[in-house]
Amino acid sequence: MRKLWLAALSLAVVTADASSQSAAPVKVGFSIARTGIFAAGTQTSLNSYELWAERVNAGGGLDVKGTKRPVQLVWHDDQSNASKAAQIYEKLITSDKVDLLIGPWGSPASLAIAGVVERHQFPTVVGAASSVKLREIKAGNIFFTSMVFPDKLAQTLADILKANGYKSAAVLTVQVPYTLEIKSFLVPNLKKAGIDVKVDEGYPPMVRDMTALLLRVKEAAPDAVIVLSFPADTAIYMNQARETGINAPFQFNLIGPTREWFPKQFGAHANGMVTIGSWHPNKAEWPKAKPFYDAYTKKFNEKPDYSDAILGYMACEVLEEAVRIAGLDKNALRKTLASATFDTLTGPVKFQGVENVATPTGLSQYQNGQLEIVWPPNIATAKLIRKGAAKP
Amino acid sequence: MKLELLLSGQLFFSALVTGAVYVLIGLGLNLVFGTMRLLNIAHGEMAMIGAYLAYWLFALWGVSPLVSMLLAAAVTAAFGAAVYKGIFRGLLASNMTLVRLEANSLLVFLGIAIILQNAAILIFTGSPRAYQYMDTMLHVGGVALTQNRLIVLLVAAVIGVLITLFLRFNIYGLAINAFIQNRQAAMMMGVNVDKIQLMAFCVGFGSAGLAGALLSMLEQVSPYMGFSFTIIAFVMVILGGLGNVFGGMVAGLLLGILETYGVAFTSPSFQLVLIYGVFVLVLVFRPEGLASMGRRL
Repeated sequence: MRKLWLAALSLAVVTADASSQSAAPVKVGFSIARTGIFAAGTQTSLNSYELWAERVNAGGGLDVKGTKRPVQLVWHDDQSNASKAAQIYEKLITSDKVDLLIGPWGSPASLAIAGVVERHQFPTVVGAASSVKLREIKAGNIFFTSMVFPDKLAQTLADILKANGYKSAAVLTVQVPYTLEIKSFLVPNLKKAGIDVKVDEGYPPMVRDMTALLLRVKEAAPDAVIVLSFPADTAIYMNQARETGINAPFQFNLIGPTREWFPKQFGAHANGMVTIGSWHPNKAEWPKAKPFYDAYTKKFNEKPDYSDAILGYMACEVLEEAVRIAGLDKNALRKTLASATFDTLTGPVKFQGVENVATPTGLSQYQNGQLEIVWPPNIATAKLIRKGAAKP
Repeated sequence: MKLELLLSGQLFFSALVTGAVYVLIGLGLNLVFGTMRLLNIAHGEMAMIGAYLAYWLFALWGVSPLVSMLLAAAVTAAFGAAVYKGIFRGLLASNMTLVRLEANSLLVFLGIAIILQNAAILIFTGSPRAYQYMDTMLHVGGVALTQNRLIVLLVAAVIGVLITLFLRFNIYGLAINAFIQNRQAAMMMGVNVDKIQLMAFCVGFGSAGLAGALLSMLEQVSPYMGFSFTIIAFVMVILGGLGNVFGGMVAGLLLGILETYGVAFTSPSFQLVLIYGVFVLVLVFRPEGLASMGRRL
């Protein structure tokens, strides 16, 4: 009898110990700009991370090689400061002791943390960031889901203009690292494609008026106006291009048109605007797209941003699948990230070095109040249309 | 840039609107800074509150921002009254704390700004918001004027005139002027210090809220929008002369014209160089402000 009691007691201890270990959360760490100049742009990425964690936990937890464990997000505000981001990732790894890492928002911060995660050999998947420099440093522990690396985006823009017979362009660039990097590839690519760059001007961030610049563009009368802009100057361009009477049939704004506020602020004037975007919620080939769209809209009472929100969620899906295959061991995780193909809400993702080479660099356009993919043709949901003439 | 473009009405309209925006933003700060030498770096957050009020009233009930700007002014004025009565009244009344108050006010208002910004993030999230209102074009003499930008220009002009008249002809306005010129002398002449300080807070905060509500027609509304407004307001106040409300308005207009035409003559890359270059020159050669000649308004 005594032996039976001892056996039962031992079994209870072992079971309790095992179940407390399986219930221990998987800590997923990241930094994100909640203050500073990038703060207004990061909310949608954060929303995606929270939505992903909620979905995973509602399904019983993250599958860690067959054992389900709840996900716990551990994050800190990097204040839009790349150096601060590097300090935070050091803290996440050494002090917070997270199990997984998602990269920060933005290329400067991602470059800053690359050395940290490399030193700790901690594989990290990044959503909204892309810089050719990230490819050049040949890091082995950082993986970018983004499909808008500057050189690829530049080539894509040149391709679509050439394919549609446009002969001239104006390029306006807000002077921040990412857009300047795009411009450094864009202008030569346009010229190589036989497109005459009639205006090539930069402007500072936090600009309040672009009239002088736009009058120069109007005078040049290009076929295409490519504005490598961030949200605030996208809005200024949209208002003042109409006022100055810019009538180019192709008009592009880099960041802003995919955001929830854009169609609300500009209504029918948004139609015809082209922007970056390789995602659509209704593509049958991407069965995860519509559920994400519906869940995001329901939880946050607004549509997801077709760019950063998607990239953020992709990063989470990639991590989720990698952990299911490899567990939490860093070496196994790294090998899996470097070699496997992952299924996400925007189709397959596969990394070659740091870069996702499976998702094409696409462009989207507002048509009848909806964003449609217009390039490349193999994923397009609609044909490119000419921007309606602005009636000054 | 060709001469005809430089002389174009379109450029002139844009310069005026940019100047009007600066005038609207900076007006209230001059009153608070001028009367009490308080470094109100939460000024931009008052504009943010006004902008959110206007956004939600429009989004939920279709209330025109031309109406909600008055409510925004009232709400932020009430907030100003609360800040004055809750924090600064006692500090201003004591000679011991008054001496260090100018420096300490920076920290106090910084705390208020951080609290307001984070409260806005918690309540509204960090996602920018925007709405479409009065964005149709008017055409006057070949110049295209977006209605909402024209409204901002007109309201800035009306408010500028009203405040100028108030400070010149109203008994309380004259008292505020006296206070700005010489606090001790004004007290000795029987000016009710507490009333004037309260009024300066209310009008200063209220005008920022009104400005934010109006500007919500043109810009996205977000918890982070206040900082750039605060910087503009301080540049205007310094350029125009401390406590010189009319000078501040002139400085705001000049800043708008300088920015627009300066960029047209040179390049957009020179925008910040022009603005802050002039700012530094004024600080060096005319630290009392551009408009401080003769009798101050």
